[in-house]
Amino acid sequence: MSATEVSLDLVRELRAICGEEYVTERTSPAHQPIAEDTVDLDKSALRPSSSISVAPGCSEEVAAILRLANDRAFGVTPVGWAADTLGPFGPTGVLLHINRLTHVEHYDHADLTVGVGAGMTVAQLNTMVGADKLMFACDPPLPKRATIGGVLAAAKQGPLRHGYGAVRDFCIGMRFVTGDGRKAKGGGRVVKNVAGYDLMKLLIGSYGTLAVITSASFKLFPAPRQTRTFLAEFATWQGALKFRDLVLRSPLSPMCLELVSPGLRKLMRPEVTHDAWVICVRGSGSDAVLARYRRELGSAVTRELDGDDEAKMWRAIEDFPRSLPIRSFTADRWCYAIINVPISEVGAAIRVLEEFATPDGMGLITIGRVGVGVLLVAYRASAADMMAKVVEAIARQISRDCSIRQHGPGKVFPLTPTHLPSMRAVKRALDPNNVLPGKELF
Amino acid sequence: MRSSALIHNLRAISGRDAVLYRAEDLMLYEYDGGVRKHRPDAVVFPQTADQVARIVKLAAPLGVPLVPRGAGTGLSGGAIPVAGGIMIAFSRMNRILEVDAENMRAVVQPGVVNQTLSDSVAHLGLYFAPDPSSQKACTIGGNVAENSGGPHTLMYGVTVNHVTGLEVVLPNGDIVNFGGKATDSAGYDLTGFFVGSEGTLGIVTAITVKLLRRPERIATLLGIFETIDDGAETVSAITAAGITPAALEMLDGWTLQTVEAFCHAGYPLDAGAVLLIELDGLAELVEEQAEVAREVCLQQRAREVRRAKDETERALLWKGRKNAFGALGRVSPSYYSQDGVVPRTKIPAVLQLIGEVSKKYGLRIGNVFHAGDGNLHPLILFDIRDPKQLQMVQDASREILQYCINVGGSITGEHGIGIEKRDLMPLLFSDDDLSVMQSLHDAFNPTSLLNPQKVFPTTRMCMETRGPAAHPVLAQEGM
Repeated sequence: MSATEVSLDLVRELRAICGEEYVTERTSPAHQPIAEDTVDLDKSALRPSSSISVAPGCSEEVAAILRLANDRAFGVTPVGWAADTLGPFGPTGVLLHINRLTHVEHYDHADLTVGVGAGMTVAQLNTMVGADKLMFACDPPLPKRATIGGVLAAAKQGPLRHGYGAVRDFCIGMRFVTGDGRKAKGGGRVVKNVAGYDLMKLLIGSYGTLAVITSASFKLFPAPRQTRTFLAEFATWQGALKFRDLVLRSPLSPMCLELVSPGLRKLMRPEVTHDAWVICVRGSGSDAVLARYRRELGSAVTRELDGDDEAKMWRAIEDFPRSLPIRSFTADRWCYAIINVPISEVGAAIRVLEEFATPDGMGLITIGRVGVGVLLVAYRASAADMMAKVVEAIARQISRDCSIRQHGPGKVFPLTPTHLPSMRAVKRALDPNNVLPGKELF
Repeated sequence: MRSSALIHNLRAISGRDAVLYRAEDLMLYEYDGGVRKHRPDAVVFPQTADQVARIVKLAAPLGVPLVPRGAGTGLSGGAIPVAGGIMIAFSRMNRILEVDAENMRAVVQPGVVNQTLSDSVAHLGLYFAPDPSSQKACTIGGNVAENSGGPHTLMYGVTVNHVTGLEVVLPNGDIVNFGGKATDSAGYDLTGFFVGSEGTLGIVTAITVKLLRRPERIATLLGIFETIDDGAETVSAITAAGITPAALEMLDGWTLQTVEAFCHAGYPLDAGAVLLIELDGLAELVEEQAEVAREVCLQQRAREVRRAKDETERALLWKGRKNAFGALGRVSPSYYSQDGVVPRTKIPAVLQLIGEVSKKYGLRIGNVFHAGDGNLHPLILFDIRDPKQLQMVQDASREILQYCINVGGSITGEHGIGIEKRDLMPLLFSDDDLSVMQSLHDAFNPTSLLNPQKVFPTTRMCMETRGPAAHPVLAQEGM
């Protein structure tokens, strides 16, 4: 049987599962040019080379697709909004889009919990719960496109990571289909629950390599009634980190605590004429609470933002690195890495980045979630070899507790303190036939 | 291998005085804080991870079950050696290996007592947030195994939210690491996955935990209500006011009287219920929230809202709450503590159900629980010497937990499944759910060498788990 016949067969079977209109065959070339001015960075990389896309409407259909994939030995790549889960991987096999899974499983505003389909976007979720003055405390890039499934699979985060924790901290339940086609769940709908293994922890940040997430439940938080952002500029990162330490040792509990590098600041505000490292502290509360912020932060604060200006600035930071201007759409696209270090090692990590920085490709275009030891570093695909040297240097020069995720050429987890054979054992347990992606992980 | 050889080898690994095998010594290790008992065949007290690894390598080829134990304060039978075998007791692995104040981390051995860690870092203005009621005795290794909670998990989360790294001995004897001091780690989150796995995947030998800075201000309020319904309605009213207290606990009237007689905490003797509400953080914020919480309580028909004047008064109020289980133990030969969870908004309904169950079975049930996160602890009083009563208690518990599930809740919020609730797992999880968990169990612990017959329902274990029902080598020696 020819490859074309196999493909036609497959399409017929997938259509039998999901319906005619939800299975498409792509005949166009793998890469299509996109407009220079778009902010949709990953599109250039993610034009699927795969020829079949399927959009199941429920978890049963997801399970049927994965069982078929195991029977017929084809690969499946789960996709939220294109870049969500696919980012680190080449698109292979059948693309399984979760965008039809947008149902609300449960929502009780008085209980501060919600459960939604994995295809719902973060913006849709926040609109729903925002009506009750609540919020989903994860602010990933491009929330109008970022799906809940993608946020979980890629363990996405934004500036709220500092004050509210990671999505692992407030995801209370999850439904999913394992690589071998078992429809299962972990956790539940209540905010405290230790029944059974914590399967959510395994799937969050696994990039869709173990299972396809079909829905999830979360704790919600009261939306802040008033916020204000305090900006302090420093000539050096050392000065900025001293100020960070002052904030961390104070009684303040800011929602966000971010370090913006001079390189990124210039991209965000081209009109600025001098280099500076900027610490951004976002507080919430009454006038009295915000006045206390002002007193504690002292004279280092050079600007305060509220209202639209504040919202605009945080939107730009949240969208990083997807807010960066695109120069071209092929080899020189932006990639990014997430570097996790103990907070005392943030300076050492910045020093490594400085060492390998180049004016064009691997500049210090960085956001530091410096209160929790996370650095987001943008670099050109053409500087991937330089990023590999950064990984080596961090592994060599900083403690064994460091780890790196990269959305670019090379392994997704080039550096991790976690025992690799144990991770592989988990992969074998849930996806024994390697139907889901995963070779690129370690 | 004869059992005497096994004891000899255990002594060679951990020291002559580090192995127990006489019946009178083993009796101390046959129970935990729950109601089930089973004696181990030997108890060993390792002092290092390397010794634990050697014990595992010794036991594995013989198929001798290994059961880790912290302080034995668990309430679900997680540390009961139901299949016999060797109990690995961590009371000698009780060192704080490192306090890294700059990174707000501590690295501890599993036998470190929860309260000891907080006491040890208090001079740095730091503390360890998970605070089970047994925190003066329970170990951090046990907290990790059961993913323990406590009153202050309402704001700060359970143990898994405070563990960033683990050193683990796998069933093949390898010593491996997951995560580290960094807040997040790239790779599958095996740290998060192992926390709460009840010792069924690996034996934890070192734990990296987060330390938190002590809050600038703490306000502890006691809302006093005429009826339990008013108290229960107030829980979601406080949440709806946009406040997340650090802790929000509830005690019913009968429990109040019993606790007060035991530890004179200053609780009212004539109330229907009280809410213990704690707020912490920035002084300005705490004062504002304390005022809002007070107003909400009064709107919900609180008779009075008291505020602890100082740390002594605060400590007394908490002493009453944390000793409630012990207080009830004074008035009954036995008690059975349940750990169901419901959505917060269902607390009034579930308390009504518990009242009906109490009447139906003629059993006294006290309620003292983490109201803020819907985590119930109905304490059913009975006499364990009477098998009929024990059966009634189990039937009553099942009715309560079935109700929790029916309204979208869970069968355990912080005590774990252990052996106590393993046969209730199918009420909550489908065959496929359990088969996924079983696959992961088998990926790490394929022969059920570690802590056999826990977490999974016995029907599933009969079918799929290949662990020994009882260890023949030790049994033949009559040990």
